[in-house]
Amino acid sequence: MSTENTTYRPESLTANRPLLWIAAFLSILMMAPVAWIVGLSIKSNQDLMLGTETVFQLPYTIANYINILHSSQAFGWFFNSLVVACGQTLGVLVLSSLAGYAFARLEFPWRRTLFVIVLFGLAVPEQAVIIARHQMFNWFGLHNSYIGLILPNLSSAFGVFLMTQFFRAIPKEIDEAALLDNASQFRIFWKIMLPLTLPAQATLGIFTFLYAWNDYWWPLISATRKEMFTLTIGIASSQTNFAQSEGLGFLSAQAVFASLPVLIVYLIFQRHIVTAVSGGAVK
Amino acid sequence: MRRLLFSSVAIAALAFGPAAHANTMIELQRFFGACDADYGKVTDVSAAVGECGIITALINKFEADNPGIDVNVTTVEWPGYDQLNAQLASGAAPDVVSMHYSAISDYQTRGLIEPIDPVLAAQGILPDSFTDAARNGVTKEEQMFGLPFDNWTMLFHVNLNLMKQAGLVNADGTPILPTSVEELVTQGKQFKEKTGKPYLVQILANETATYARILYTLLQQQNADFFADPLKITLNTPEAKTAVETMKRIKDEGLTTVGLDYPAAVSAFANGDGGIAVNGTWLIGDYVAQSEKSGTALSGGYTVYPVPQLFPGRDSTYSDGHSWVMPRKDRSPEQVEAIGKLFKFLAENDFQWARTGHLPAVKAVFDMEQFKSLPHRSNIAEIAQTGQSLPAAVQRQFAIQDIIGEEVGAAVNGDKSVEEALGSAESRINDLLANL
Amino acid sequence: MAESYRRSHWKNGLFVLPYLSVFVVLLVFPLAWGVWLSLHKVDLFGPGRFVGLNNYVRVLADPVFLQALRNSVVFVAFSVPTLVVLGLFLALALNRTTRATSFFRGLFFSSSVLSVTIVTLIWRFVFIPGDGLMAVLFEQVGLPPIGFLSTSGWSLFSVGVATVWWCLGLPMMLFLAALQQIPSDLYEAAALDNASPLRVLTRITLPSIARTIMLVAIIQIVMQFQLFGQAQLMTNGGPNGTSRPLVMYIYEVGFVRWDVGKAAAASEILFLIILCAAMAQYVIATRKPEASE
Repeated sequence: MSTENTTYRPESLTANRPLLWIAAFLSILMMAPVAWIVGLSIKSNQDLMLGTETVFQLPYTIANYINILHSSQAFGWFFNSLVVACGQTLGVLVLSSLAGYAFARLEFPWRRTLFVIVLFGLAVPEQAVIIARHQMFNWFGLHNSYIGLILPNLSSAFGVFLMTQFFRAIPKEIDEAALLDNASQFRIFWKIMLPLTLPAQATLGIFTFLYAWNDYWWPLISATRKEMFTLTIGIASSQTNFAQSEGLGFLSAQAVFASLPVLIVYLIFQRHIVTAVSGGAVK
Repeated sequence: MRRLLFSSVAIAALAFGPAAHANTMIELQRFFGACDADYGKVTDVSAAVGECGIITALINKFEADNPGIDVNVTTVEWPGYDQLNAQLASGAAPDVVSMHYSAISDYQTRGLIEPIDPVLAAQGILPDSFTDAARNGVTKEEQMFGLPFDNWTMLFHVNLNLMKQAGLVNADGTPILPTSVEELVTQGKQFKEKTGKPYLVQILANETATYARILYTLLQQQNADFFADPLKITLNTPEAKTAVETMKRIKDEGLTTVGLDYPAAVSAFANGDGGIAVNGTWLIGDYVAQSEKSGTALSGGYTVYPVPQLFPGRDSTYSDGHSWVMPRKDRSPEQVEAIGKLFKFLAENDFQWARTGHLPAVKAVFDMEQFKSLPHRSNIAEIAQTGQSLPAAVQRQFAIQDIIGEEVGAAVNGDKSVEEALGSAESRINDLLANL
Repeated sequence: MAESYRRSHWKNGLFVLPYLSVFVVLLVFPLAWGVWLSLHKVDLFGPGRFVGLNNYVRVLADPVFLQALRNSVVFVAFSVPTLVVLGLFLALALNRTTRATSFFRGLFFSSSVLSVTIVTLIWRFVFIPGDGLMAVLFEQVGLPPIGFLSTSGWSLFSVGVATVWWCLGLPMMLFLAALQQIPSDLYEAAALDNASPLRVLTRITLPSIARTIMLVAIIQIVMQFQLFGQAQLMTNGGPNGTSRPLVMYIYEVGFVRWDVGKAAAASEILFLIILCAAMAQYVIATRKPEASE
């Protein structure tokens, strides 16, 4: 725990010790299910058949993890998820930055009207268009491809809205100065404005990545060949009837295994993610 | 920007990159679970146990026997039909799909699956080599739309060790089973008194299929013709009321486990948490294997019987079966031939599949010494005659099953009155069928 | 110069063109196509026939739809306040920079990076009867087991617990960010006045982050109204449909019952509901303009 601060810190008025203890207690509740799964994953399926309270007793085994390395398709699913999430993040960042810049700082015919229409897009839930989209993608044969998995969420208006807000917040003097040098509109955007929005890019990027990583319905009906399963769908395909399946231990190990890479990446970038969310979202 | 461009090209290339195969490739999609960890490399089918193990080993064996054919297996969540629908809609259907007999009419009426008679004929498989029940299950408009693989029903899986303790075993070692609802209740109470455990182990949670199968069974036993018109179910009948009230009574008297979902119910019986598991044929192999081990709750004390006749009408149990169908799509002649070979292999190895506990779909298996020597098969042989499915013309049987399971479950658990639940089930099903 | 830069020019519109084309093709057109579908009796596999508003009549007369709508509303009504209050509490508790607080921040946010299937797998193994963590704990303590996933009331509650566990990180982070932007002179003034912590909370902290509370609430309402995966994977909507959310209803009607027209009609109704909520929110927000921008 922290030592008492000698210098005055404003936050010490909100954060105090009892609150911290409650938070610590909540964190135990938070971790209990995870500990349970990790426990199950290091027990043999035979032991677990006798009852899961055996988790609290020896012996433990890494057999389930070895089995995954030998047989699970989790690697492929993981790769698919990565391609889809990165592709979607990249696409959203490019489209939203371009559009946000223009909506915020440029003048062109019907700018306001178009912006209001895009804002209406915020109110369209994915579910309202998913069936029609599924049929459209049939016509173009886009199902079971990375493009088919990446495209739909590029239409999300959230990114455009967020980036517009950000570009608006940048002081006018900056690009007006650049204009004196007769720089082209795109050059101003690319060389001057875009670097200023990096925190926003990070925020939007993280939101988009997480959304794509966790997306369920669209990949469920679009990626129907197992080669194209995302991690979410792949795990779901082996999850439901686990009595007929490989057992609690194996499934737990699979869940742990499948979460590890994201968790590791998260831990490495944790500081940046926190700053990004903090710096970006509330302006 | 150039970097962006490159990465999108790279992604596009990944998306459309073709896969080159010298071998003939068949896409096979099935339920029955995933068990690659235990059976991924096994080609000795006789060493496999249970549905998942046996089908995995069978496909491995087929691939080993036919080096020119690759079978690419996708395992889907049971029953996998919503995924199949999405695939059919997007023209990405697999070559061979596992399908219940009860689901075939949906796909056949819409022209989504192909008749397999030519495929069977090319391999010299005669339609009358299959049992009548199996053949009827896949035959629509005088064509076969799937390779029949088995017939199954719900059964009474009996823990003899506990039944002995309850005094419910005859002198010859066979269990005493009820012949009426009253007997079921009396014996159930006796069982509970003597062992302190529930008489029945039922799947009452998070599942709809079991409720529907039991309801159909109890209705059939009362000679109720609830699907006289395949587009209209009749559930506002005294028979239906009696059936649901029976199910509710079993629960209210504390004669059954409650709150168990499918996997929990399977392991609860294996752990000796109840006397009789009401579950399908597919578990016989697993439970026999458990009873042959020492130190388990079932050691030396497992047997299995058809669901007993509880009503004077007739002896009947709701039955269905698994088949392999071919979605309509363009295939090369090599692929069709490979599928034919696979079908032939599966039909020839129907005995192996019957080791799960399912009734064979191939007549000849019944005469095999190996089959006759499988444990308990004589007890349940009669379901070949007493098993009865819904009328073949009834569509959306899985959706109907969901509705029935939801409503009857509500009645059994006391969330709705029996009349209310049956009325609601009837109107929901008829709305569904009126809008096909 | 500044004027020439600000002058309207169609070329400036090129910047929005890429997004607008995606917007039109992947959102506007499917929305219109969805309306078209909702007026037809059609399945997944081919052309249907025009039936007018019949699908809408059928949806609105369907007790299962009404039940699903109610479930979704109830779910939002309970999960969103929980997320806001818990998120705010954690932000207040962890609003300082020590090793311990940054550890806890990381921990509470970490569940957000898991995918829905893993979250539900974890929570299924907590809630399943017999073998689940809760069942084992209850047995140790000697309490009668509860069918968390199979009893009306409990099943939606269990889905809610898993959802709160999964989604808690984002509200916490957003609140933390907002807390750190409160000017410290406000607190210094309060410290000079010897104000009690509670008074500081209600008079300074909460008013300063009111906008963020609103933002978090709106984001969560929109997200939780789209509940689908957790319910489908944990309870499959049961028992008796008491945990079936609206989105799952749409999925079932379309992909299990093949009734695409009816599913499209239900989708359009969902769209109308969210649109109305958004409009209402917009009206409220513009009536009470906040101090900043």
